[in-house]
Amino acid sequence: MNYSNVNYSRGQVKIQQMAFVLVAIMIFFAIVVLFYLSIRVNLLKGDVEILRNEEAKEVVRKLAGRPELSWTVTDCASCIDLDKALVLNHRESYEDFWEVPFLQIERVYPDGEGECTKGNYPDCRTITLVDEGIYIAHSAFVALCRHDELMGDKCELGKIYLGFRSVG
Amino acid sequence: MNRGGFEFSFAWLFAIIVGVVIIFLAIYFTTSLIGNSRYEADTKIAAQLETILNPVETGLEEGKLIIIGFPSETRIYNDCNEFGDFGDQAISTSTKSGIGDKWQEPGAKIKSKSKYIFSEKVVQGQEAYVFVKPFEMPYKVADMVMIYSQDYCFVKPFDDIKEEVEDLNLPGINISFNIDDCPEGSKKVCFVFDNDECDVKVGQTNVQEAYYEDSLVYGAIFSSPDIYECQLKRLMKRDAELALLYASKAEFLVGKGCSTGLAGELVNYASSLEDFGGSRELPSVKLKSDDIGRENELLKCKLF
Repeated sequence: MNYSNVNYSRGQVKIQQMAFVLVAIMIFFAIVVLFYLSIRVNLLKGDVEILRNEEAKEVVRKLAGRPELSWTVTDCASCIDLDKALVLNHRESYEDFWEVPFLQIERVYPDGEGECTKGNYPDCRTITLVDEGIYIAHSAFVALCRHDELMGDKCELGKIYLGFRSVG
Repeated sequence: MNRGGFEFSFAWLFAIIVGVVIIFLAIYFTTSLIGNSRYEADTKIAAQLETILNPVETGLEEGKLIIIGFPSETRIYNDCNEFGDFGDQAISTSTKSGIGDKWQEPGAKIKSKSKYIFSEKVVQGQEAYVFVKPFEMPYKVADMVMIYSQDYCFVKPFDDIKEEVEDLNLPGINISFNIDDCPEGSKKVCFVFDNDECDVKVGQTNVQEAYYEDSLVYGAIFSSPDIYECQLKRLMKRDAELALLYASKAEFLVGKGCSTGLAGELVNYASSLEDFGGSRELPSVKLKSDDIGRENELLKCKLF
Protein backbone atom coordinates (compact mmCIF):
# COMPACT_ATOMS: atom_id res chain seq x y z
CA MET A 1 0.00 0.00 0.00
CA ASN A 2 1.42 3.41 -0.92
CA TYR A 3 0.89 6.88 0.64
CA SER A 4 -1.83 8.00 -1.82
CA ASN A 5 -3.99 4.94 -1.12
CA VAL A 6 -3.87 5.62 2.63
CA ASN A 7 -5.02 9.21 2.03
CA TYR A 8 -7.91 8.09 -0.13
CA SER A 9 -9.01 5.63 2.57
CA ARG A 10 -8.90 8.32 5.26
CA GLY A 11 -10.82 10.67 3.00
CA GLN A 12 -13.52 8.12 2.41
CA VAL A 13 -13.88 7.48 6.12
CA LYS A 14 -14.26 11.21 6.70
CA ILE A 15 -16.90 11.43 4.01
CA GLN A 16 -18.80 8.54 5.56
CA GLN A 17 -18.62 10.16 8.97
CA MET A 18 -19.97 13.42 7.57
CA ALA A 19 -22.79 11.53 5.83
CA PHE A 20 -23.84 9.87 9.10
CA VAL A 21 -23.73 13.19 10.93
CA LEU A 22 -25.89 14.81 8.24
CA VAL A 23 -28.39 11.97 8.42
CA ALA A 24 -28.54 12.25 12.20
CA ILE A 25 -29.13 16.00 11.98
CA MET A 26 -31.90 15.50 9.43
CA ILE A 27 -33.59 12.92 11.67
CA PHE A 28 -33.28 15.25 14.63
CA PHE A 29 -34.91 18.15 12.80
CA ALA A 30 -37.60 15.84 11.45
CA ILE A 31 -38.45 14.78 15.02
CA VAL A 32 -38.57 18.43 16.11
CA VAL A 33 -40.91 19.33 13.22
CA LEU A 34 -43.17 16.34 13.94
CA PHE A 35 -43.36 17.33 17.60
CA TYR A 36 -44.26 20.92 16.68
CA LEU A 37 -46.87 19.84 14.12
CA SER A 38 -48.53 17.45 16.56
CA ILE A 39 -48.91 20.25 19.11
CA ARG A 40 -50.31 22.62 16.45
CA VAL A 41 -52.77 20.01 15.18
CA ASN A 42 -54.00 19.33 18.72
CA LEU A 43 -54.55 23.05 19.27
CA LEU A 44 -56.36 23.21 15.94
CA LYS A 45 -58.57 20.26 16.92
CA GLY A 46 -59.50 22.16 20.05
CA ASP A 47 -60.38 25.25 17.98
CA VAL A 48 -62.38 23.16 15.52
CA GLU A 49 -64.29 21.54 18.39
CA ILE A 50 -65.14 24.98 19.82
CA LEU A 51 -66.26 26.22 16.40
CA ARG A 52 -68.39 23.11 15.86
CA ASN A 53 -70.05 23.57 19.22
CA GLU A 54 -70.78 27.23 18.44
CA GLU A 55 -72.17 26.26 15.05
CA ALA A 56 -74.33 23.56 16.63
CA LYS A 57 -75.67 26.06 19.17
CA GLU A 58 -76.50 28.45 16.35
CA VAL A 59 -78.38 25.68 14.53
CA VAL A 60 -80.26 24.93 17.76
CA ARG A 61 -81.20 28.59 18.16
CA LYS A 62 -82.34 28.76 14.54
CA LEU A 63 -84.59 25.75 15.11
CA ALA A 64 -86.47 27.80 17.66
CA GLY A 65 -87.30 30.16 14.78
CA ARG A 66 -89.16 27.49 12.81
CA PRO A 67 -92.79 28.52 12.20
CA GLU A 68 -94.01 25.39 14.05
CA LEU A 69 -92.25 26.44 17.23
CA SER A 70 -91.67 30.18 17.11
CA TRP A 71 -93.64 32.70 19.13
CA THR A 72 -94.92 35.18 16.55
CA VAL A 73 -97.46 37.13 18.62
CA THR A 74 -94.71 39.60 19.40
CA ASP A 75 -91.33 40.13 17.73
CA CYS A 76 -88.98 37.79 19.54
CA ALA A 77 -86.11 35.98 17.86
CA SER A 78 -85.45 33.20 20.39
CA CYS A 79 -88.93 32.70 21.74
CA ILE A 80 -90.80 29.43 21.51
CA ASP A 81 -94.58 29.21 21.53
CA LEU A 82 -95.12 26.58 24.20
CA ASP A 83 -98.84 26.25 23.40
CA LYS A 84 -98.00 25.38 19.79
CA ALA A 85 -95.29 22.95 20.90
CA LEU A 86 -97.78 21.14 23.12
CA VAL A 87 -100.37 20.66 20.38
CA LEU A 88 -97.58 19.85 17.88
CA ASN A 89 -96.51 16.83 19.91
CA HIS A 90 -97.60 13.47 18.46
CA ARG A 91 -99.00 15.00 15.25
CA GLU A 92 -98.70 12.26 12.64
CA SER A 93 -97.81 14.56 9.77
CA TYR A 94 -94.77 15.84 11.67
CA GLU A 95 -93.34 12.42 12.50
CA ASP A 96 -90.50 12.55 9.95
CA PHE A 97 -90.38 16.29 9.55
CA TRP A 98 -87.63 17.32 11.94
CA GLU A 99 -84.88 15.10 10.46
CA VAL A 100 -83.09 14.99 13.81
CA PRO A 101 -82.88 12.10 16.31
CA PHE A 102 -83.72 14.22 19.37
CA LEU A 103 -85.69 17.41 19.91
CA GLN A 104 -86.86 18.49 23.33
CA ILE A 105 -88.04 21.67 24.98
CA GLU A 106 -87.39 22.01 28.70
CA ARG A 107 -88.73 24.55 31.13
CA VAL A 108 -85.83 25.69 33.29
CA TYR A 109 -87.55 28.25 35.53
CA PRO A 110 -89.94 27.99 37.21
CA ASP A 111 -89.40 24.30 37.99
CA GLY A 112 -91.71 21.61 36.79
CA GLU A 113 -91.80 17.82 36.74
CA GLY A 114 -92.50 15.32 34.02
CA GLU A 115 -93.46 15.27 30.39
CA CYS A 116 -96.12 17.80 29.41
CA THR A 117 -99.62 16.65 28.56
CA LYS A 118 -102.84 18.63 28.19
CA GLY A 119 -103.68 17.46 31.73
CA ASN A 120 -100.61 18.79 33.60
CA TYR A 121 -99.73 21.75 31.33
CA PRO A 122 -98.18 24.21 32.15
CA ASP A 123 -96.95 22.72 35.46
CA CYS A 124 -94.62 20.30 33.72
CA ARG A 125 -91.01 20.18 32.65
CA THR A 126 -90.41 18.84 29.16
CA ILE A 127 -92.02 18.48 25.76
CA THR A 128 -90.18 15.82 23.77
CA LEU A 129 -90.98 16.07 20.09
CA VAL A 130 -88.46 13.50 18.82
CA ASP A 131 -86.42 10.88 20.66
CA GLU A 132 -84.87 8.10 18.64
CA GLY A 133 -81.50 6.51 18.11
CA ILE A 134 -78.09 7.53 19.36
CA TYR A 135 -77.16 11.20 19.30
CA ILE A 136 -75.06 13.96 20.77
CA ALA A 137 -77.31 16.68 22.16
CA HIS A 138 -76.64 20.40 22.09
CA SER A 139 -78.78 22.97 23.82
CA ALA A 140 -79.51 26.67 23.77
CA PHE A 141 -81.41 28.93 26.13
CA VAL A 142 -84.72 30.23 24.82
CA ALA A 143 -87.78 32.00 26.15
CA LEU A 144 -90.89 29.82 26.46
CA CYS A 145 -93.96 31.94 25.82
CA ARG A 146 -97.59 30.96 26.27
CA HIS A 147 -101.01 32.42 26.94
CA ASP A 148 -101.83 32.62 30.63
CA GLU A 149 -105.41 32.97 31.84
CA LEU A 150 -104.55 35.66 34.37
CA MET A 151 -101.50 37.41 32.98
CA GLY A 152 -102.14 37.23 29.25
CA ASP A 153 -98.94 36.43 27.36
CA LYS A 154 -96.27 35.09 29.68
CA CYS A 155 -92.68 34.08 28.97
CA GLU A 156 -90.42 31.88 31.10
CA LEU A 157 -86.85 30.62 30.87
CA GLY A 158 -86.32 27.40 28.96
CA LYS A 159 -83.89 25.37 26.92
CA ILE A 160 -84.20 23.66 23.59
CA TYR A 161 -82.21 20.45 23.06
CA LEU A 162 -81.29 19.20 19.63
CA GLY A 163 -79.66 15.84 19.00
CA PHE A 164 -77.10 15.34 16.24
CA ARG A 165 -76.24 11.91 14.91
CA SER A 166 -72.68 10.98 15.86
CA VAL A 167 -70.45 9.94 12.97
CA GLY A 168 -67.76 7.27 13.37
CA MET B 1 -19.98 -7.76 -43.86
CA ASN B 2 -22.59 -5.03 -43.64
CA ARG B 3 -24.76 -5.58 -40.64
CA GLY B 4 -27.20 -2.61 -41.04
CA GLY B 5 -30.20 -4.45 -39.59
CA PHE B 6 -31.64 -3.86 -36.09
CA GLU B 7 -31.93 -6.85 -33.83
CA PHE B 8 -35.27 -6.90 -32.00
CA SER B 9 -35.17 -9.75 -29.59
CA PHE B 10 -38.18 -11.41 -28.00
CA ALA B 11 -37.21 -10.03 -24.58
CA TRP B 12 -37.55 -6.45 -25.82
CA LEU B 13 -40.86 -7.17 -27.47
CA PHE B 14 -42.22 -8.83 -24.35
CA ALA B 15 -41.04 -5.95 -22.16
CA ILE B 16 -42.70 -3.34 -24.39
CA ILE B 17 -46.01 -5.21 -24.53
CA VAL B 18 -46.10 -5.79 -20.79
CA GLY B 19 -45.14 -2.16 -20.14
CA VAL B 20 -47.97 -0.86 -22.32
CA VAL B 21 -50.49 -3.15 -20.61
CA ILE B 22 -49.30 -2.07 -17.14
CA ILE B 23 -49.46 1.63 -18.07
CA PHE B 24 -52.94 1.18 -19.57
CA LEU B 25 -54.21 -0.61 -16.46
CA ALA B 26 -52.64 2.03 -14.20
CA ILE B 27 -54.31 4.87 -16.10
CA TYR B 28 -57.64 3.02 -16.16
CA PHE B 29 -57.71 2.34 -12.42
CA THR B 30 -56.46 5.83 -11.62
CA THR B 31 -59.21 7.51 -13.65
CA SER B 32 -61.77 5.13 -12.17
CA LEU B 33 -60.54 5.99 -8.66
CA ILE B 34 -60.62 9.69 -9.50
CA GLY B 35 -64.18 9.26 -10.77
CA ASN B 36 -65.26 7.60 -7.50
CA SER B 37 -63.41 10.22 -5.50
CA ARG B 38 -65.17 12.97 -7.44
CA TYR B 39 -68.55 11.37 -6.70
CA GLU B 40 -67.63 11.27 -3.01
CA ALA B 41 -66.33 14.85 -3.08
CA ASP B 42 -69.43 16.11 -4.93
CA THR B 43 -71.68 14.42 -2.36
CA LYS B 44 -69.70 16.05 0.47
CA ILE B 45 -70.07 19.47 -1.18
CA ALA B 46 -73.84 18.99 -1.48
CA ALA B 47 -74.03 17.96 2.20
CA GLN B 48 -71.93 20.99 3.23
CA LEU B 49 -74.13 23.25 1.11
CA GLU B 50 -77.22 21.86 2.83
CA THR B 51 -75.59 22.49 6.22
CA ILE B 52 -74.58 26.04 5.27
CA LEU B 53 -78.19 26.77 4.33
CA ASN B 54 -79.41 25.78 7.83
CA PRO B 55 -78.52 28.91 9.79
CA VAL B 56 -79.41 31.12 6.84
CA GLU B 57 -83.10 31.14 7.79
CA THR B 58 -84.55 34.53 8.67
CA GLY B 59 -85.72 35.37 12.16
CA LEU B 60 -87.01 38.91 12.36
CA GLU B 61 -85.19 40.00 9.18
CA GLU B 62 -87.08 40.84 6.01
CA GLY B 63 -84.34 39.53 3.82
CA LYS B 64 -80.86 38.11 3.98
CA LEU B 65 -77.98 37.59 1.59
CA ILE B 66 -75.04 35.20 1.76
CA ILE B 67 -72.40 34.45 -0.82
CA ILE B 68 -71.10 30.90 -1.12
CA GLY B 69 -67.72 30.33 -2.74
CA PHE B 70 -66.59 26.99 -4.11
CA PRO B 71 -62.98 25.86 -4.59
CA SER B 72 -63.67 25.28 -8.28
CA GLU B 73 -66.50 25.85 -10.71
CA THR B 74 -69.49 23.89 -9.46
CA ARG B 75 -72.93 22.96 -10.71
CA ILE B 76 -75.77 22.86 -8.18
CA TYR B 77 -78.68 20.67 -9.26
CA ASN B 78 -82.02 21.59 -7.74
CA ASP B 79 -84.68 18.90 -7.62
CA CYS B 80 -88.13 19.33 -6.13
CA ASN B 81 -90.64 16.64 -5.21
CA GLU B 82 -94.15 17.72 -4.18
CA PHE B 83 -95.46 14.32 -3.03
CA GLY B 84 -96.07 13.54 0.65
CA ASP B 85 -97.11 15.72 3.56
CA PHE B 86 -94.40 18.29 2.89
CA GLY B 87 -92.70 17.13 -0.32
CA ASP B 88 -88.93 17.41 -0.30
CA GLN B 89 -86.05 19.38 -1.66
CA ALA B 90 -83.03 17.61 -3.10
CA ILE B 91 -79.74 19.23 -4.02
CA SER B 92 -76.71 17.61 -5.59
CA THR B 93 -73.51 19.04 -6.96
CA SER B 94 -70.92 18.35 -9.59
CA THR B 95 -67.49 19.99 -9.85
CA LYS B 96 -65.48 20.80 -12.94
CA SER B 97 -62.31 18.79 -13.37
CA GLY B 98 -59.41 18.72 -15.74
CA ILE B 99 -59.06 14.94 -15.46
CA GLY B 100 -61.52 12.64 -17.15
CA ASP B 101 -64.92 14.12 -18.07
CA LYS B 102 -65.12 17.89 -17.57
CA TRP B 103 -68.48 17.53 -15.83
CA GLN B 104 -69.46 14.14 -14.52
CA GLU B 105 -72.81 13.01 -13.11
CA PRO B 106 -73.68 14.82 -9.84
CA GLY B 107 -73.04 13.22 -6.46
CA ALA B 108 -75.75 11.78 -4.24
CA LYS B 109 -78.82 13.93 -3.60
CA ILE B 110 -79.14 15.52 -0.19
CA LYS B 111 -82.80 15.81 0.76
CA SER B 112 -84.62 18.15 3.11
CA LYS B 113 -88.29 18.60 3.96
CA SER B 114 -87.98 22.07 5.41
CA LYS B 115 -86.03 23.92 2.72
CA TYR B 116 -87.55 25.66 -0.30
CA ILE B 117 -84.91 26.55 -2.86
CA PHE B 118 -85.99 28.61 -5.83
CA SER B 119 -83.42 28.49 -8.59
CA GLU B 120 -82.85 27.26 -12.11
CA LYS B 121 -82.60 23.47 -12.34
CA VAL B 122 -78.83 23.84 -12.68
CA VAL B 123 -76.90 26.75 -11.19
CA GLN B 124 -73.30 26.92 -12.35
CA GLY B 125 -70.45 29.06 -11.13
CA GLN B 126 -67.58 29.43 -8.71
CA GLU B 127 -69.76 31.63 -6.53
CA ALA B 128 -73.42 31.21 -5.69
CA TYR B 129 -75.52 34.06 -4.30
CA VAL B 130 -78.16 33.05 -1.78
CA PHE B 131 -80.99 35.48 -1.12
CA VAL B 132 -83.49 34.53 1.59
CA LYS B 133 -86.96 35.98 2.07
CA PRO B 134 -89.65 34.87 4.53
CA PHE B 135 -92.93 33.70 3.03
CA GLU B 136 -96.02 34.65 5.01
CA MET B 137 -99.60 33.68 4.25
CA PRO B 138 -100.85 35.07 6.65
CA TYR B 139 -98.36 33.74 9.26
CA LYS B 140 -94.79 32.85 8.46
CA VAL B 141 -94.77 29.57 6.56
CA ALA B 142 -91.13 29.13 5.66
CA ASP B 143 -88.12 30.86 4.17
CA MET B 144 -87.75 31.07 0.43
CA VAL B 145 -84.13 30.56 -0.56
CA MET B 146 -83.24 31.98 -3.96
CA ILE B 147 -79.94 30.80 -5.42
CA TYR B 148 -78.43 32.35 -8.51
CA SER B 149 -74.99 32.77 -10.00
CA GLN B 150 -75.47 34.65 -13.23
CA ASP B 151 -75.90 38.39 -13.76
CA TYR B 152 -79.35 39.91 -13.92
CA CYS B 153 -80.56 43.24 -15.24
CA PHE B 154 -83.81 44.51 -13.72
CA VAL B 155 -85.35 46.94 -16.16
CA LYS B 156 -87.76 49.48 -14.60
CA PRO B 157 -88.32 47.39 -11.45
CA PHE B 158 -91.13 48.11 -9.01
CA ASP B 159 -90.16 50.53 -6.22
CA ASP B 160 -90.21 47.92 -3.45
CA ILE B 161 -88.05 45.51 -5.46
CA LYS B 162 -85.63 48.30 -6.37
CA GLU B 163 -85.39 49.27 -2.71
CA GLU B 164 -84.78 45.69 -1.60
CA VAL B 165 -82.08 45.08 -4.20
CA GLU B 166 -80.31 48.29 -3.20
CA ASP B 167 -80.68 47.76 0.55
CA LEU B 168 -79.28 44.23 0.43
CA ASN B 169 -76.81 45.20 -2.29
CA LEU B 170 -77.65 41.98 -4.14
CA PRO B 171 -74.59 41.04 -6.18
CA GLY B 172 -74.93 40.47 -9.89
CA ILE B 173 -78.16 42.47 -10.17
CA ASN B 174 -78.08 45.70 -12.15
CA ILE B 175 -80.97 48.13 -12.14
CA SER B 176 -81.59 49.95 -15.37
CA PHE B 177 -84.32 52.11 -16.87
CA ASN B 178 -83.41 51.23 -20.40
CA ILE B 179 -82.94 47.73 -21.69
CA ASP B 180 -80.09 48.85 -23.93
CA ASP B 181 -78.07 49.87 -20.85
CA CYS B 182 -78.05 46.32 -19.50
CA PRO B 183 -74.61 44.67 -19.30
CA GLU B 184 -73.90 42.16 -22.01
CA GLY B 185 -74.59 38.57 -21.04
CA SER B 186 -76.95 39.49 -18.21
CA LYS B 187 -80.45 38.07 -17.98
CA LYS B 188 -82.89 40.89 -18.71
CA VAL B 189 -85.92 41.01 -16.39
CA CYS B 190 -88.49 43.51 -17.61
CA PHE B 191 -91.13 44.85 -15.25
CA VAL B 192 -94.52 45.73 -16.77
CA PHE B 193 -93.32 46.45 -20.25
CA ASP B 194 -92.74 44.34 -23.28
CA ASN B 195 -89.67 44.07 -25.42
CA ASP B 196 -88.37 41.23 -27.57
CA GLU B 197 -85.04 41.37 -25.79
CA CYS B 198 -86.57 40.61 -22.40
CA ASP B 199 -85.64 37.19 -21.01
CA VAL B 200 -88.17 37.38 -18.18
CA LYS B 201 -91.33 39.51 -18.18
CA VAL B 202 -92.80 40.46 -14.81
CA GLY B 203 -96.41 41.65 -14.64
CA GLN B 204 -98.39 43.01 -11.70
CA THR B 205 -99.56 39.53 -10.73
CA ASN B 206 -97.48 37.11 -12.76
CA VAL B 207 -94.04 36.36 -14.10
CA GLN B 208 -94.86 34.98 -17.53
CA GLU B 209 -97.00 31.88 -16.79
CA ALA B 210 -96.34 31.85 -13.05
CA TYR B 211 -98.57 33.86 -10.71
CA TYR B 212 -97.15 35.38 -7.57
CA GLU B 213 -98.07 37.27 -4.42
CA ASP B 214 -95.72 39.42 -2.34
CA SER B 215 -92.24 37.88 -1.91
CA LEU B 216 -93.03 35.01 -4.30
CA VAL B 217 -92.08 37.40 -7.12
CA TYR B 218 -88.42 36.69 -6.35
CA GLY B 219 -89.02 32.96 -6.52
CA ALA B 220 -90.73 33.41 -9.87
CA ILE B 221 -87.88 35.56 -11.24
CA PHE B 222 -84.95 33.44 -10.09
CA SER B 223 -86.30 29.94 -10.67
CA SER B 224 -87.45 27.90 -13.61
CA PRO B 225 -91.27 27.57 -13.96
CA ASP B 226 -91.26 23.86 -12.94
CA ILE B 227 -89.26 24.48 -9.80
CA TYR B 228 -91.41 27.51 -8.92
CA GLU B 229 -94.69 25.61 -9.23
CA CYS B 230 -93.33 22.61 -7.30
CA GLN B 231 -91.92 24.70 -4.45
CA LEU B 232 -95.12 26.74 -4.33
CA LYS B 233 -97.18 23.57 -3.90
CA ARG B 234 -94.80 22.45 -1.12
CA LEU B 235 -95.20 25.83 0.57
CA MET B 236 -98.98 25.51 0.40
CA LYS B 237 -98.78 22.04 2.00
CA ARG B 238 -96.71 23.48 4.84
CA ASP B 239 -99.18 26.37 5.08
CA ALA B 240 -102.03 23.85 5.40
CA GLU B 241 -100.27 21.93 8.19
CA LEU B 242 -99.56 25.17 10.03
CA ALA B 243 -103.21 26.19 9.63
CA LEU B 244 -104.26 22.92 11.28
CA LEU B 245 -101.68 23.50 14.01
CA TYR B 246 -103.04 26.99 14.69
CA ALA B 247 -106.58 25.58 14.66
CA SER B 248 -105.54 23.05 17.34
CA LYS B 249 -103.92 25.85 19.33
CA ALA B 250 -107.14 27.92 19.02
CA GLU B 251 -109.23 25.00 20.33
CA PHE B 252 -106.76 24.41 23.17
CA LEU B 253 -106.77 28.08 24.20
CA VAL B 254 -110.57 28.13 24.55
CA GLY B 255 -110.06 26.28 27.84
CA LYS B 256 -107.46 28.89 28.87
CA GLY B 257 -109.83 31.80 28.61
CA CYS B 258 -108.83 32.78 25.07
CA SER B 259 -111.61 32.34 22.56
CA THR B 260 -110.43 33.29 19.06
CA GLY B 261 -113.23 31.84 16.93
CA LEU B 262 -110.68 31.15 14.23
CA ALA B 263 -110.47 27.38 14.53
CA GLY B 264 -113.20 26.67 11.96
CA GLU B 265 -111.84 29.19 9.47
CA LEU B 266 -108.33 27.82 9.79
CA VAL B 267 -109.56 24.26 9.15
CA ASN B 268 -111.42 25.48 6.03
CA TYR B 269 -108.32 27.37 4.94
CA ALA B 270 -106.24 24.20 5.36
CA SER B 271 -108.75 22.21 3.27
CA SER B 272 -108.58 24.75 0.45
CA LEU B 273 -104.76 24.59 0.53
CA GLU B 274 -104.72 20.81 0.36
CA ASP B 275 -106.39 21.00 -3.07
CA PHE B 276 -103.98 23.70 -4.28
CA GLY B 277 -103.47 23.10 -7.99
CA GLY B 278 -100.92 25.75 -8.97
CA SER B 279 -100.00 29.40 -8.92
CA ARG B 280 -103.21 30.39 -10.75
CA GLU B 281 -105.10 29.71 -7.50
CA LEU B 282 -102.88 32.07 -5.50
CA PRO B 283 -105.17 35.12 -5.68
CA SER B 284 -108.08 33.23 -4.05
CA VAL B 285 -105.76 31.76 -1.40
CA LYS B 286 -104.38 35.22 -0.70
CA LEU B 287 -107.90 36.59 -0.15
CA LYS B 288 -108.69 33.89 2.43
CA SER B 289 -105.34 34.34 4.14
CA ASP B 290 -105.80 38.12 4.35
CA ASP B 291 -109.23 37.61 5.98
CA ILE B 292 -107.71 35.32 8.62
CA GLY B 293 -104.84 37.75 9.17
CA ARG B 294 -107.21 40.68 9.67
CA GLU B 295 -109.35 38.72 12.14
CA ASN B 296 -106.28 37.67 14.10
CA GLU B 297 -105.12 41.29 14.37
CA LEU B 298 -108.42 42.23 16.02
CA LEU B 299 -108.10 39.53 18.70
CA LYS B 300 -107.16 40.33 22.27
CA CYS B 301 -105.17 37.09 22.49
CA LYS B 302 -103.66 36.62 19.08
CA LEU B 303 -102.89 33.23 17.63
CA PHE B 304 -99.92 34.44 15.58
